[in-house]
Amino acid sequence: MSSIDWLMAVAILLPLVAGMLCFVVRDYTVRGIIVVLTAVALIVTSVKFFLMGPTEYEITAIGGLNVGELISILDFVVLFIFLYAGISLKRIETIILALAQILPLGYFEFVKGIKFETSPAFYIDQLSIVMVMVISIIGSIICIYAIRYMKDHEHHKHVEKSRQSRFLFWLVMFLGAMNGLVLANNLFWLLFFWEVTTLCCFQLIAHDLTQEAINNACQAMWMNLLGALGLMIAIVYLTYNIGPDGISLKYIIAGGLGKGVVALLPLALMAFTGMTKSAQLPFQGWLLGAMVAPTPVSALLHSSTMVKAGVYLVVRLAPAFRDTMVSDLVAIVGAFTFLGASVLALSQTNGKRVLAYSTIANLGLIVAAAGINTPLAMTAAILLIIYHAVSKGLLFLCAGTIEHGIWSRDIEDMEGLAAKMPLTTTIAAIGIMSMLLPPFGVLMSKWAALEAASQVPIAGFLFVIASAVTAVFWVKWLGRMLQVPPTGEAYHVESMSAIYSLPLIALAGGAVVLSIMVGTVLNKLVLPAVAAFYANVPAAFVAKGFNFAAQGFAGPAAAAGGSEGIGTVGLFAPWPLFVVLGIALVLTWLLVGVKKEDVRPAYMCGENVDDCSDTSYFSVADQKTEIKLGGYYFMNSLGEAVLNKWVNTIAVILLVIMLGVVYL
Amino acid sequence: MRETLIAVITLVVAPLIGGLLFGIDRKITARMQRRVGPPILQPFYDILKLIGKDRIVTNKAQLIWAYGYLFFVMASLIMLFLGQDLLMLVFVLAFGGISFILGGFSTKSPYSHIGANREIMQMVSYEPVLILMAVGVYLVNGSFIIKDIFTKTPLLVNLWPIFIAVLVILTIKMRKSPFDISTSHHAHQEIVKGITTEYSGPYLALIELTHWYELILVLGLISLFWATPLWIGILIALGSFILELFVDNISARMYYAWMVKFTWGIGLTLCVINIVWLLLVKQGVI
Repeated sequence: MSSIDWLMAVAILLPLVAGMLCFVVRDYTVRGIIVVLTAVALIVTSVKFFLMGPTEYEITAIGGLNVGELISILDFVVLFIFLYAGISLKRIETIILALAQILPLGYFEFVKGIKFETSPAFYIDQLSIVMVMVISIIGSIICIYAIRYMKDHEHHKHVEKSRQSRFLFWLVMFLGAMNGLVLANNLFWLLFFWEVTTLCCFQLIAHDLTQEAINNACQAMWMNLLGALGLMIAIVYLTYNIGPDGISLKYIIAGGLGKGVVALLPLALMAFTGMTKSAQLPFQGWLLGAMVAPTPVSALLHSSTMVKAGVYLVVRLAPAFRDTMVSDLVAIVGAFTFLGASVLALSQTNGKRVLAYSTIANLGLIVAAAGINTPLAMTAAILLIIYHAVSKGLLFLCAGTIEHGIWSRDIEDMEGLAAKMPLTTTIAAIGIMSMLLPPFGVLMSKWAALEAASQVPIAGFLFVIASAVTAVFWVKWLGRMLQVPPTGEAYHVESMSAIYSLPLIALAGGAVVLSIMVGTVLNKLVLPAVAAFYANVPAAFVAKGFNFAAQGFAGPAAAAGGSEGIGTVGLFAPWPLFVVLGIALVLTWLLVGVKKEDVRPAYMCGENVDDCSDTSYFSVADQKTEIKLGGYYFMNSLGEAVLNKWVNTIAVILLVIMLGVVYL
Repeated sequence: MRETLIAVITLVVAPLIGGLLFGIDRKITARMQRRVGPPILQPFYDILKLIGKDRIVTNKAQLIWAYGYLFFVMASLIMLFLGQDLLMLVFVLAFGGISFILGGFSTKSPYSHIGANREIMQMVSYEPVLILMAVGVYLVNGSFIIKDIFTKTPLLVNLWPIFIAVLVILTIKMRKSPFDISTSHHAHQEIVKGITTEYSGPYLALIELTHWYELILVLGLISLFWATPLWIGILIALGSFILELFVDNISARMYYAWMVKFTWGIGLTLCVINIVWLLLVKQGVI
């Protein structure tokens, strides 16, 4: 086997093998070692992919077995598992959607004898490499965190027969399916990996086997099957109308399909497929429902896998539907999701639901940027995929740790967390800030997206409103956590098992370091990917434009002359802001001391019960009353009950228009 | 080197002018209310006095956020005077605003808490207008860079609806009626001292100083609307400042929900009309 054979095998097959080993091995420590070793292998492999650079990979047979046939058989196996799940759980929608794929696929493959084959099997470009790195590095860190988390989880839930083996099986295998998905060139293979991720997701959400978990898992299953159905129709349509080339991503990206209905219909269908998986409105339900699963599942689904597969597909196909109405509609659907999800997040008191809505919002932004479809917008999209994965993975792990500390997910219960769990709170605060504030990477991407948005003004306007709204729920949450009663004493840093704290610290450090190194990330990872998409990008843009180097962010203004519709962008250097951040928050924390005698209780109209140690006051008739504070949640005006019907209706209309404009 | 010099001069001169303007504010406001009013240099006396007081806090986090507020407003002011990216300036300013809010939240005090909750709503009100201002500038000039504004025709010609919206933002940023929601200069309509209730002595001085910087920043943004020649822009900014004093004295504080409705309803509509119009001109429809 050559080196690329090994890389592909480790990226796609090793997680499967390791998952099976986890399933068989019943010893906690051995299982842990297997997961850690797999994680290390995956991380090393992803770095090797990066060093290797874009390439193609052809495989027809493994040990005498025809891979194409193997995959079509396995695809049927997975579909029959869905069918079985639908029948045994009595879910009519799942049964229908599974049959809707099994019957046509069976007809075309066995009756008509069509083989969904194309060449090369795997097409590895810079975008795939970025995705492999995101999946393998962040996903692996989350898997390591899951080892201990699941033990505590079962301990707390008093589970008698441990199901950790099963959990780790699906969790680790997920990474392999994702790697396969982003590396595949053959759309049919991509569909197979797509179905496998849906299956993993279904199993992981249902893991706790409560009625709610099963219901939500079924919801995730049927929504993702609906998306896969779109992909399947597109594949059959393309095979019929174009031939084997039609299902080759390489051919599609290169614009081989043209801009007619024959091209736009399958492209719009596949964009729809991507939107279901990335939980764009009105499909947000399954991702919110997925919150019932243990936290590592949420962390994995939201940061590096599953939803990122959806945006990957949209970003991947964007060059093919460039300069069409479909592209504008994709931008508007994404921007509307960004706004809708952000507004819905305002009324949430459950921390994990806030995180979920924020994920949906950010995915909306990525989809919208792909729809705006200029080099700058695409740069924003890929940057956001990377930075969002790091920050959101971090935040979910924090939410899990907090949950295991206070056994609540409610934001209001997190009041004063800074005093109880200083380390976790600090890391969570870094996570929230990295989602929201300059000079962290997520905001840098948002900023680039906004500067690119003048191409599709409606999307730009929705961005502006949404980005103002996102600040509200983040700051509210941050404010609750960082609120502390007035005591002059130093906090006792909580003790945390290394297997908890190391993933947290690794991701928090990653969020900061990657943000400082945004110039390197941009030039080494993102720009090559964008350049591959837009062959006629002005050289200045690729070579030095959008350069976050020390001199500042030199826009391609003069060189490009707006010829590619890039227009002018801004000028900005992020590192001085890190200096300001360091001085303002870190240095003052270290240098400014507070003497114990200078600490006073908060003002309560002169009715404080005690000095500092108590936060109650003398109320009517000298009753001691504990002070209670809370945030604004706007339940009556912006709650889900009020908004959902409007938001979902508009989203459905937008999707119908998106699929309809292909005939214009 | 030249940039460092500009930054240093900005940081030294801006609070002097800002403090002076607040002194003028208090004098004019007093005259409008038929009082004699304090001397014009009173804000400086106040700050010096505050600095000399005990460093009393309710916890350490509170004062860290006060520094955060100061430093990030300073950073955005420097960005303005160095002529950097307007959109990023708005985001950096937002970091300052968020620090201020977190300072209010960081202490378990009912009054500071109410103020912080309201300050968030103030931020939601002004943030989109400022971003849309940047978008408008981009549509007119083809650039988000502030430096580029100085080479073109005055923005006010094409951006006067956005200018009106920004005037509303000035009221919010100066914490003047009817938008002095989170903390107010008028004692009679205040819930204790809102978001700054728990700040005292040198740390209150820090907050005051930041307000001076912020005033110069917003007036600077307004003067960009007539950047060639800049003295007209500065006159417009000063005129806007005086106008705010009248608005402040003839109106009462409103409820926060009203503020959001007003700025989103009227402010954003003005911005959108402006932007749509610019786009139509660009497309050659008008």
